[in-house]
Amino acid sequence: MDAGLACLRAALLFYALGFLAAIAPLLSEARRRAAAFAPWLAAGGAACHTVALLALGWSLNRCPLATVPEILSALSWASVLIYLAVWWRYRIDVLHVTILPLAIVVLVISKVMPGEVLPVAASMRGPLLKLHLTAIILGVGALSITFAASLVYVIVDRGLKAKRPARFFVPLPSLERCDRIGRVSLLWAHPLLTFGIVTGAVINESLTGSPWAWQPKETLAVLAWVLLGVVLAARLGWGWRGRKAALLTILGFSMVFLRMLGI
Amino acid sequence: MSILLYGLNHESAPLELRERLVVPEGDLVAAVGRLAGSSGVEEGLILSTCNRTELLVHGPTASAEHTVKRFLLDSGRATSEELERHCYLHADRDAVRHLFRVASSLDSMIVGEPQILGQIKEAYAAAHAAGGLKSVLDSLLQRAFSVAKKVRTETGIAKAPVSIAHAAAARAHEIFGDLAHSAVLVVGAGKMARIAAQHVAANGVRTVRVLNRSYQRAAELALELHGTSVSWDRLSEELVRADVVIVSTGAPHHIVTLEDAAPIARQRRGRPLFFVDIAMPRNVDPRVNDLDNVYVYDIDDLKGVAEAGLRERRQEALAAEQIVERETTAYLDWLRSLEVTPTIVDLRSHLHALGAAELERFRARLGPLTPGQQQALEEFETALMDKVLHHPIQALKRSTARPGAGTLIAFLREAFGLDGRGPGTRKS
Repeated sequence: MDAGLACLRAALLFYALGFLAAIAPLLSEARRRAAAFAPWLAAGGAACHTVALLALGWSLNRCPLATVPEILSALSWASVLIYLAVWWRYRIDVLHVTILPLAIVVLVISKVMPGEVLPVAASMRGPLLKLHLTAIILGVGALSITFAASLVYVIVDRGLKAKRPARFFVPLPSLERCDRIGRVSLLWAHPLLTFGIVTGAVINESLTGSPWAWQPKETLAVLAWVLLGVVLAARLGWGWRGRKAALLTILGFSMVFLRMLGI
Repeated sequence: MSILLYGLNHESAPLELRERLVVPEGDLVAAVGRLAGSSGVEEGLILSTCNRTELLVHGPTASAEHTVKRFLLDSGRATSEELERHCYLHADRDAVRHLFRVASSLDSMIVGEPQILGQIKEAYAAAHAAGGLKSVLDSLLQRAFSVAKKVRTETGIAKAPVSIAHAAAARAHEIFGDLAHSAVLVVGAGKMARIAAQHVAANGVRTVRVLNRSYQRAAELALELHGTSVSWDRLSEELVRADVVIVSTGAPHHIVTLEDAAPIARQRRGRPLFFVDIAMPRNVDPRVNDLDNVYVYDIDDLKGVAEAGLRERRQEALAAEQIVERETTAYLDWLRSLEVTPTIVDLRSHLHALGAAELERFRARLGPLTPGQQQALEEFETALMDKVLHHPIQALKRSTARPGAGTLIAFLREAFGLDGRGPGTRKS
């Protein structure tokens, strides 16, 4: 347990250092080269985070996804891994300054959340629950990339409209690129979330006898799912894109984020 | 007599006022003719580009000043308060320096851009055609061309020519990333449209289409840009398809209005549309920029991007300013030397004529002289007069290097009676 906690703290430190390295060129010209270390620091953080999760599972002797803090920690871990993969492919530095703070915030919040084990029917603690949690965690991780791309889109758009170069810590990608990453990541995130919600309904039914409890947090999740689904359908079927698509995506992610905090 | 320069530029006046005061290319010769023909002006030239409208005149100080101010006011396109607030008036040294800075592209919105020199040459040709140029302004303009060339070759100011076109291309990159998948639409086939399109297309774009009221010119430009030409009535359809639209026509009104653009933006379903409006006056309604995913940049807007280039080349600009300063001094010295030259000539001929006349008068009293004696006498006269002339002429020459040559000229002409009558009246 102690080793796990130490690794988690190391992960948090690495994420924070990665973020600082990414914005270092902003502080002085001399620190320009520091930015090159940001992805490596993030990767170091992800490695520590992985060890922390494994150690936690080992010490609890179960899958470490049974409490709210555990799920939030796994979410933060997944979003960092997905961001590193996307960064590897597209080399978009602005992800360092969007995803890392998000991962840090989620990780810190997870520390203050109540740690009781969530009630799940014993019969369901099988593959379905694991699939449900995996789909949700990967889906939200991918959606955090969509959110970052959409946020940067709106920032670049505002700079262009105001006729002065947009500034957000690091050199920003073009609108076209933000839009493309937003589209592709949503294309991954939405089916995963769909699968997560359907399996969640099945689990719920076995727990309460009804697939849908109509609690506000669940309604929020479904609303977010519908909203993101409409955005994705309009993007794919109708070629829709641009600022409004980005704004609706940000809204959708915010709803999902609130839902996750209210697990 | 003064050289005066009166006008406004991109720093002193807003775009909207500059637009109103632009003298259209077709009217330029007639306008210079009117300016040069005004009372109190001996020579005149009008430089009118999208970034400046300047009147350059030579004439008696007070009347020329009155004339240039009236000239812009009489055009009826600006109020006297606006002109008072946004125009500058430079005289003599300041006017010469300003013209040299403009020609060297130091006063350009985008320092180092090469178009301004061509525009001054056009203004020069128009002033020539209108008969507005005589010795002073003609020599001044010739000098300005050589200063511009000197600055261009001796400093690095033109080595990284960040032009409006470059700035536009940079903005296009912020929107579209690399432009390989972008469709460029060029509206208008004039010089500015061509320069901008060349810069943007140099990045390798998917397609270039050219649209112009005269199809012939559109076809020519399209050929040059390896694109296709499109007839004018298909503007709306082309705007739906294009990504980057370079607009530069001579039309004095908006070609793309908010009402035109709104349905086009809807049809594009959020695909970004980038208007580069380098026309003067503007051809795209600035309100089009308020539409979602549509970005309209005019020349003033592109300035921000261009200023980054200025910082890098500040050192070069400093070297260029020094050249301008030196050349201004050299030109004014030369101009003043023109002022003193007639007086020096008059002084010489007057005193030598006096000496020759007195020699003639006294020679009879000396009786018959041998040719040797005759020659010695003549040499004596020449040597004496040269001695007398030495200090006044040196003083005149020295006076060209500082202001106030006129006072010395007037004094010497008075003291030696150069403008009066009497024995040895000047021959010239």
